[in-house]
Amino acid sequence: MTELGAAEPQSPAAEESAVLRIEDLRTQFLAHGGIARAVDGVSYHVNRGETLGVVGESGCGKSVTALSVMRLVPDPPGRIVGGRVLLHGRDLLELDEPAMRRVRGNQIGMIFQEPMTSLNPVLTVGRQIEEVVELHQNLSARQAAERAVEMLRLVHIPEPQRRVREYPHQLSGGMRQRVMIAMALSCSPEVLIADEPTTALDVTIQAQILELIREMQERTGTAIVLITHDLGVVAETANRVVVMYAGKKVEEAPVMALFDAPLHPYTRGLMVSMPRLDSPAGQERGTLPEIPGMVPSLSALPEGCRFAPRCPLAAQQCREEPPLKEYAPGHFAACWRAGE
Amino acid sequence: MSATTSEAHRFRPLVARRSGLLTRHPRITISVLLLGTLAGLAVFAPLITQYDPMTLAVTQRLRPPSAAHWFGTDAYGRDTFSRTIYGGRISMQIGLSVAAVSVAIGVVVGMLGGAIRWLDPIVMRISDGLMSIPGILLAIALMSLTKASVATVIIAITIPEVPRVVRLVRSLVLTIREQTYMQAAVSSGTRLPRLMLRHILPNVVTPLIVQATYICASAVLIEAYLGFLGAGTPPEVPSWGNIIAENRTFVQLASWNIMFPGAFLALMVLGVNMLGDGVRDLLDPRLAGRIGK
Repeated sequence: MTELGAAEPQSPAAEESAVLRIEDLRTQFLAHGGIARAVDGVSYHVNRGETLGVVGESGCGKSVTALSVMRLVPDPPGRIVGGRVLLHGRDLLELDEPAMRRVRGNQIGMIFQEPMTSLNPVLTVGRQIEEVVELHQNLSARQAAERAVEMLRLVHIPEPQRRVREYPHQLSGGMRQRVMIAMALSCSPEVLIADEPTTALDVTIQAQILELIREMQERTGTAIVLITHDLGVVAETANRVVVMYAGKKVEEAPVMALFDAPLHPYTRGLMVSMPRLDSPAGQERGTLPEIPGMVPSLSALPEGCRFAPRCPLAAQQCREEPPLKEYAPGHFAACWRAGE
Repeated sequence: MSATTSEAHRFRPLVARRSGLLTRHPRITISVLLLGTLAGLAVFAPLITQYDPMTLAVTQRLRPPSAAHWFGTDAYGRDTFSRTIYGGRISMQIGLSVAAVSVAIGVVVGMLGGAIRWLDPIVMRISDGLMSIPGILLAIALMSLTKASVATVIIAITIPEVPRVVRLVRSLVLTIREQTYMQAAVSSGTRLPRLMLRHILPNVVTPLIVQATYICASAVLIEAYLGFLGAGTPPEVPSWGNIIAENRTFVQLASWNIMFPGAFLALMVLGVNMLGDGVRDLLDPRLAGRIGK
């Protein structure tokens, strides 16, 4: 852990436990209309044992940020043009490909949205876990097979000895997502990136999978980056939340602070557009409020604040880009009229 | 335990499927029986017939089918039954070799093309070039450059087949590459060669097996065409194409000399194609189910 301090000139308190720190990350795509700035100067970090929720609409850059961390942005058309991705202070963007491969799956694990398609249909689930283990750990074939069974048991799959020999199509969606989690955690990574891990699952299974992720985190102390568009999932699982809009971080806060006092108008828009069970008495059960308008095209972004065209509070000032300011300890927002 | 009962439930149809393989897949059963019979006749030909396929018997020319000569005799008095079942050896040898060689080459080239970006256009343009020439024409041209033998026939038929396999494999690789599970494999740190061999190749096998049977069938047919045109195996070799070709002059006098080898040829091609369809349905149960209903 000595190299940590040397590489990090930032606030000493945060860096102590930050496993993964993204600094001013910029990822662009060469689209037909020009350059799409999918991730435009995003910074966040996640500490050991912490769950960071990354929230935003489709296309806000939350998944591209994660892919950039893994250096899996398809190139062409994508390209990471700036910033740093520090894993324990080591910049992943500067590693060569073999070194990066040792990071993938070993130090950073990843879970995908679609459990139906994220397992290879022609390989048994055991084989797929063994693959990962064999890649990164010096284990014999037998030890790897044992590890696969052990991982399935850890993610609460009944009869793991038999299940390892089954193919993905023999498992239900929830089971497959459990296998994915087992695969992603089989090498005890320090960071787990979960890209919408529960979106494709029904609600009861969602709760089980979230519970499982939480349990695995307690067991291993893995730092989790949980990408989702579901504020409910965030409220239940995350410690801290980053809200993204059109490739930028617009708000960052501890989860309670975010739900108690959202500062950015976009965050507030997201909150009120969520259906609630405890709507105040007398309030009409009518249409759900929405955020008017659409996410701007990433290749034709408005000047200044990107949310301004949809923002009910937009003013003249919003033609200039709002800086990210700390309004309460750990609570940042990028808005001229934050909290109004 | 609700878990165990549902397990048992889930497991039963699997067992049933395995034991009922032959009755549930009649096409495979029929084609295996058909091809098995043809293969048995070809392999055990010396035990089945006492006639040598090459021995001339001038006194026995153009005899119709009888107890002594089941399929009659040809213009040189050679036993047609013997020649037909020996001909099966050539056809099978050529069909299997062409299928094996073209699939082997096609897989390697197609996987490389699908995996390596700069190689892809080169491979594809060469394939396009080869495919723009009709297969038989190319085979005839190749045969005219070399001395006729079974080996050269195999090569001449293989070359036009290779680009078809290359295209199939490449397109499969390109599709599979985009699947989420490939991204999952990459995100666990898998290297490209391992990705290709461990994750992509198993996905390619099923369509390849099916394609191989079609290649086998078409190779048997092309061999017969080449033999018939006089551009195939040397004329003394009793291949089905050769037998039909040399007896066509006598078709009105002794049609059995053409009918029997022709029927064997048709049965063999039918059997191989049925096997291909059956195997496809077996290995891709989703598709089979849809068609079955």
